Amino acid sequence: MMLEGLKFSAISSPIHRLDPRVKFLMVSILFVSTIIFSNLLPLLMIFVAQIPLLIIAKVQRQWLKSLRGALLLGIIIFASNLIANYFYRGRTLTTEVLELSLAMTLRFTALITTFSIFFLTTSPDRLSLALEKARIPYELNFAFITAIRFVPVLAEEAQTIMDAQKARGLELERGNFIQRIRNYLPILLPLIINSIRRSLELAEAMESRAFGAVKKRTNLYELRMTRNDYYVLLLSLATLLLVLYVRFFIPLPRYLFPNFRIL
Amino acid sequence: MNIIDIRDLTYTYPRAEMPALREVNLSISRGEFVLLTGPSGCGKTTLCRCLNGLIPHFYSGKLEGDVDVAGLSILDTQISKLAQHVGLIFQNPDNQIFALTVEKDIAFGLENLGYSREEMIKRIDWALEATGIEDLRHRAPHELSGGQKQRLAIASVLVMRPEIIVLDEPTSFLDPVGAESILQIIDRLNRELNITIILIEHRLDIAAPYLDRVIIMNEGRIIHDGFPGEVFTSEETKLVGVGVPRVSELGYRLRETGLDLGSTPLSAQELVKAFKGRLIKQSGSRVDDILPRWLTPGEGGYETPEGVAVIETRGLHFAYPNGVKALDGVSLRVMRGEFLAIMGENGAGKTTLVKHFNGLLRPDEGGVYVDGKNISGMSVASLARKVGLVFQNPDDQLFSESVEEEVAFALRNFGFDKAKIEERIVWTLDLLGLARYRKTTPFTLSGGERKRVTLASVLAWDPEVIILDEPTIGQDYAQKMKLKDLLMQMKAQGKTIIIVTHDVEFVAECKPRVALMAKGRIIGDGPAERILTDLELLGRASVRPPEIGKVFLQLSDFGLPQNIINVNEAYDFLIKRLRGGED
Repeated sequence: MMLEGLKFSAISSPIHRLDPRVKFLMVSILFVSTIIFSNLLPLLMIFVAQIPLLIIAKVQRQWLKSLRGALLLGIIIFASNLIANYFYRGRTLTTEVLELSLAMTLRFTALITTFSIFFLTTSPDRLSLALEKARIPYELNFAFITAIRFVPVLAEEAQTIMDAQKARGLELERGNFIQRIRNYLPILLPLIINSIRRSLELAEAMESRAFGAVKKRTNLYELRMTRNDYYVLLLSLATLLLVLYVRFFIPLPRYLFPNFRIL
Repeated sequence: MNIIDIRDLTYTYPRAEMPALREVNLSISRGEFVLLTGPSGCGKTTLCRCLNGLIPHFYSGKLEGDVDVAGLSILDTQISKLAQHVGLIFQNPDNQIFALTVEKDIAFGLENLGYSREEMIKRIDWALEATGIEDLRHRAPHELSGGQKQRLAIASVLVMRPEIIVLDEPTSFLDPVGAESILQIIDRLNRELNITIILIEHRLDIAAPYLDRVIIMNEGRIIHDGFPGEVFTSEETKLVGVGVPRVSELGYRLRETGLDLGSTPLSAQELVKAFKGRLIKQSGSRVDDILPRWLTPGEGGYETPEGVAVIETRGLHFAYPNGVKALDGVSLRVMRGEFLAIMGENGAGKTTLVKHFNGLLRPDEGGVYVDGKNISGMSVASLARKVGLVFQNPDDQLFSESVEEEVAFALRNFGFDKAKIEERIVWTLDLLGLARYRKTTPFTLSGGERKRVTLASVLAWDPEVIILDEPTIGQDYAQKMKLKDLLMQMKAQGKTIIIVTHDVEFVAECKPRVALMAKGRIIGDGPAERILTDLELLGRASVRPPEIGKVFLQLSDFGLPQNIINVNEAYDFLIKRLRGGED
C-alpha cells in the first residue's frame, strides 16, 4: 500500500533521467522548504508547485496510491491537531484552529509527495551508483540494493505463507492479545527460515559470479551531469534562497481566513 | 584434453556423519552435453558445487582427492577465478538475480572482475543475443516470467565466457514451454560455442534428445555412465528408481518382448520413425482390415458422476489488487469422488482458482458453491475443514519442532481432542510412511519428505476434498510414483482429489479428468486422453502433449488411435497390434 506507492517504476521522463545526486539535492530543498513553514499559504504554494513535477515524471497515479495509503495517518494528524488546539484554546473551535490543522495535514501531504518524487523516479541501481560516488563501502551498498530488490519477493512470500496456514485452520483474529501475537508465529517462522535459506543461496550465487574478485570493481552505469542537471541544480539553489528569504524577511499573514468561532 | 578431471573425490559436509560424495572418478571432455541424475540426496548438487570451488572454499568440510577444472585445481584456485571457467545456474531463478534491470544483472560478474564499460557493453550485447532476450534488456527482473528469469540467469554467467556451464535443475520452477526454451538455449550454446554442459534434471523426457552422455549417481557414487540409450535401458538405472524418458522405456519394453525397433529411441520423433518403417513393411494396404479388431483403449475410463457437485463455481471473475486479471469467467463443477487435474501454463490462473475453493480468495463476480451452498459468508477456517489445500512449497508452511507437532497444528486449530489428535497423527504418518520421523525436525528432512509432511498435515483432519498445488515439483521419479499410488488410494476411498499441475507426463499416467486453463478461462474440460491429445487446445494453453501422445498423434495416418498417452497403454496396444499384423 504505502510501500507500493514508493516503489520505483521503470519509465523514462526528464525527472527519471536527472542525476540522482542533483535529484537528492532537489528533494532535500523541497523537504526543507516544507519543514520551515507552518502556515497554510506557503505550504499550499509548495504543494501546488509539486504537482507539475509529478506530472512531468508521469508518476501521478502511483503518487495517488501512496496518498491513499497515507490517508489514515493524514486523518490522525488532522484530528489530533484539531483536538489538541481545541482544548488548548479553552474548548473553542475557531477557523484558525481549522486552518492550522489543515496546514499540518498539508505539510504531511507535501512531505509524502517529496518522497514519492524521489523514490518513484530513482532506480535503486542509480541510487546505488550515487552511494558509490559518495564512497559508501560497496558491501553496504550491495546489501541495501539487495534489500530493495527482495521487498516484493518477501511480500509475496508472506502472503503465500499466510494463505497456507489459514488453509490449515489458523485464525489470526482468535483469542486474547497474547494469543493473537502467538497466532503470528506460524507465519513469522517460515518467513525467517526461508530468508536465511535464501541468503545462503544468494551468497552461493554471488560467489559463483566472482563477487569480490578485484578490489576496484567497475560499474556498468556511469553518472555524468548533463546540461539539464546543471539547470535543475541552479534552479534548486535559487529556490532555496528564495524560500529562505521569504521565510525570514517577508512577514506572511499567520492565517489566511478571518478568525471566527465555529463551536 | 579433458576439461574436467575428478580423481578419488570424497567429501563430507561439516557436521555431517556420512560423506556426500564417495570416491568419485570422472572425466569430461570439452563440448560434451552431460546429464547428471539420480534420486534426490544422491550427491549431484554436491558434485556441482565442487566444480566451481564452492566446495571447499564456501562450504568447508572434509575433502579428499582432487578436481581439475579447465586445468585448474579447485583446491588452490579461488571461486572468483573458477567462476570465469565454470558458470553455475541454480534452481530458483529469484535467488540468483541481484540487480533491478536485466542488463545490470548481466553486468554483475563483469563489474566484480573489473571490466571496462566498453567491454561490458560489448559482452552484454553478445550474451543477450545468445540467450535470445535482447528485447528484455531494460526490463526489471521481477516483471519477467520464470522462463525469462532463468534465461537471464544463463546470460549472466555466459557473459563471463565460461567453458563449462553447470545447471542444477534449472527448469523445476518452469512450465513445459519455459523448460523447453531453456533446453533449446543450452543446446545452442553447446553446439555453436562448444560450451561443455552439465545438466541436472528430473524432466528427462524433454532433456533426452539433447544429451551426449548420462551419468547416474546414487548414495554419493557414480553408478552408471554412458550413452543415453544404453544408460536408460540398463538394469542398474531401474534399480535406483531413476525415471527414464517415456519413449525409451516403451522402446525397451517392446524389445524385451521381442519387437526390436533398433536403437533405443530418445525422442518421440525417433520412435515414430522406427514405427513407420515397421508399419509400412508389415501392413501395406491392410491397415483398415486390422484396425477394427482392436478396441480403442482409453475410452470409457472417465465419466462424470451424477449428483450434487462437491465444488462448483459459476462465472468467477477475479483480479488482483495490482490490476492483473487472473480469472475471467470460470464455471466448473467438481463431483464427489472425482479426480481432476487443472492444467495450463504458469500464470493461467490455476492457483488463483483453487484458492477460491476454500475461501482464501473471494471472487469479484460470480459464486463458489461447496456442497451446493454459496460460501460467500463462510470463514476460511470452516471451509478448510472440508476442503484441504496443500501448498506447493513445503517451506512456506513448516514451522514446528517436530513432524508430529506439524501434523497436530491443524488438528488443534479445528479443536480435536487429545485422544483424537494422537489417533490421527499415528494414522496419517503411517499412511505416508513418515512414522519413523515422528519426533524429527521437519527442516532436516529432504525436499521430498518435507513435501510429504505438508501433505500429512492436511490429510490428518481427513478433509473430503484434497487439493494439491504442483505436487510433483522437485520430486524425483520414485517419489512421483509413490504420490501417484497415494492419490489412487485416496480416490479409491472416495475422496475428491484436485491437482494443479503442469506435469503432463504425470497427468498422462494418472489419467484424471483435465480442466485446461489459459488466460483466466477454462478452455477445455474432459478426459485426459482427449484433452492432452487435442493439439489446438493445448497450443492455446501452451501445454505440450505427453511424449507417448506425440508418437501416436504422428502415427494416426496408419490407423493407430490418437488417444494413447502413457507407456502402459501404448505397450499393451502395440503388442497386440504388431503381433496381430504378423499373424
